[in-house]
Amino acid sequence: MSDNWITAASLADIPDDDVIGITINGHPIALYKFGGEVFATDNVCTHGQALLSDGFLEDGEIECPLHQGRFCIKSGKAMCDPLTENIKSYQSRVNGEEVLLLIE
Amino acid sequence: MSQENLIPLLPVWDQPDTSRIPFWAYTSKDIHKQELEKLFYKGHWCYVGLEAEIPETGDFKRTVVGERSVIMVRDAQGGINVVENVCGHRGMQFCREKHGTVKSFVCPYHQWNYDLEGNLQGVPFRRGVKQDGAVKGGMPKDFNPKEHGLTQLQVARRGGVVFASFDADVEPFEDFIGPEMLAYFDRMFNGRKLKVLGYNNQRIPGNWKLMMENIKDPYHPGLLHTWFVTFGLWRADNRSELKMDRHHRHAAMISTKGEGGKNAQTTNISSFKESMQLNDPRFLDVEMEPWWNGPTAVMMTLFPSVILQQQVNSVSTRHIQPNGHGSFDFVWTHFGYEDDTPEMTERRLCQANLFGPAGFVSADDGEVIEFSQQGFEQKPFHRTLAELGGRDIEDTDHMVSETLIRGMYKYWRKVMGV
Repeated sequence: MSDNWITAASLADIPDDDVIGITINGHPIALYKFGGEVFATDNVCTHGQALLSDGFLEDGEIECPLHQGRFCIKSGKAMCDPLTENIKSYQSRVNGEEVLLLIE
Repeated sequence: MSQENLIPLLPVWDQPDTSRIPFWAYTSKDIHKQELEKLFYKGHWCYVGLEAEIPETGDFKRTVVGERSVIMVRDAQGGINVVENVCGHRGMQFCREKHGTVKSFVCPYHQWNYDLEGNLQGVPFRRGVKQDGAVKGGMPKDFNPKEHGLTQLQVARRGGVVFASFDADVEPFEDFIGPEMLAYFDRMFNGRKLKVLGYNNQRIPGNWKLMMENIKDPYHPGLLHTWFVTFGLWRADNRSELKMDRHHRHAAMISTKGEGGKNAQTTNISSFKESMQLNDPRFLDVEMEPWWNGPTAVMMTLFPSVILQQQVNSVSTRHIQPNGHGSFDFVWTHFGYEDDTPEMTERRLCQANLFGPAGFVSADDGEVIEFSQQGFEQKPFHRTLAELGGRDIEDTDHMVSETLIRGMYKYWRKVMGV
């Protein structure tokens, strides 16, 4: 199957400089709006069982509410202990009021 | 009445020297608590394990220093850390497994998360919870994770053996053990990688010092341990030495099995009691090893926590883990060396049958320690006698002396202030 751009949310659903959790095909995704741009990663932390959308977005990094591990929301890179694994990030684009994600 | 008289005093040592030891040294709960503080938690290095028990990053072993639960863990840099098994939050002994491999330690109660050095990494809901666009609860702004890590112990490693201390000012390990004992330590742990062969665990209902004394007492083996005598491994006239460090706290009993009489270094050993034969001669299939440099047995006591054993081909550590004044756990780690042939490993395992809780020899020790404690408890005003070989404290070139016990109690009195 070829890559699919899927409509994930409407732009107004995401508060400025914050994060929400959505589900696409049963898969939890975190959607961020930061500096006017939209980013997306998996929502379940690679360390503990926690949703990043319950965490805190600062300086382009999402801090997990459970153990304060931080991921870069753009690349999904794990930025500090206790994280040992990056998180999957997704390409996003905005089409009018729609936020689309490239889901493989 | 002066103010001082109102403070409960320690029992008085009413003996002239240390050749007689009052029973209260083994029966008093207060003395035991002071021993933990003065001997296990301050000023001494305690055994925690072998490096070979935790070869890979994240491998850990739960053990104790005195009566405090600790974890020995290998970090990503190959270092070994020893941390106290008490969560910085609600004080729970969070680590329950004896051995395992982890990326980090997590207390199950509130999932506080510690790295392999014991630093607090993460606290759930530290910044509160987001609700209806507002953030509620969480730790105070000035909460500093650096202040709430696990207690980190001092660690000393030598020859693959790991010691730890709660005392930040403890002397270097090599000074603690002293040059006399260091030579025997290095003989056994000469840099070859160790290979753990297995464990024995037993709980002995007696005071922990009795185990130290048991291995400072060369009087009993040829008398209590009929197995030794019957099959020729121990004779009072074996060439032997008793040595101590300068504080008299550590000691080594060094013996070389005599050439006279029946020689146990043969497979089909016959008994001194000619009618008794081993069904399985492999228990005494002794092979000389170059590193022995002579002695066929060296039994070391490193005060207060461990015994290091070489009895012909059987090598082990025996960890003394007190639990109350009248009981201790005794944990044996049987090991070999990485360059052992399969035959030598088999030989060490066979000879390990002499030791441990049900060992042909060591089963006797657990029992006599239990029965000694029973005697002390029923007659707490009395005292033991350790006058064999005189009342002085000195190294000897024979086995018919209790000098090592007298030495240990001289040191004990000094540190305990009694």
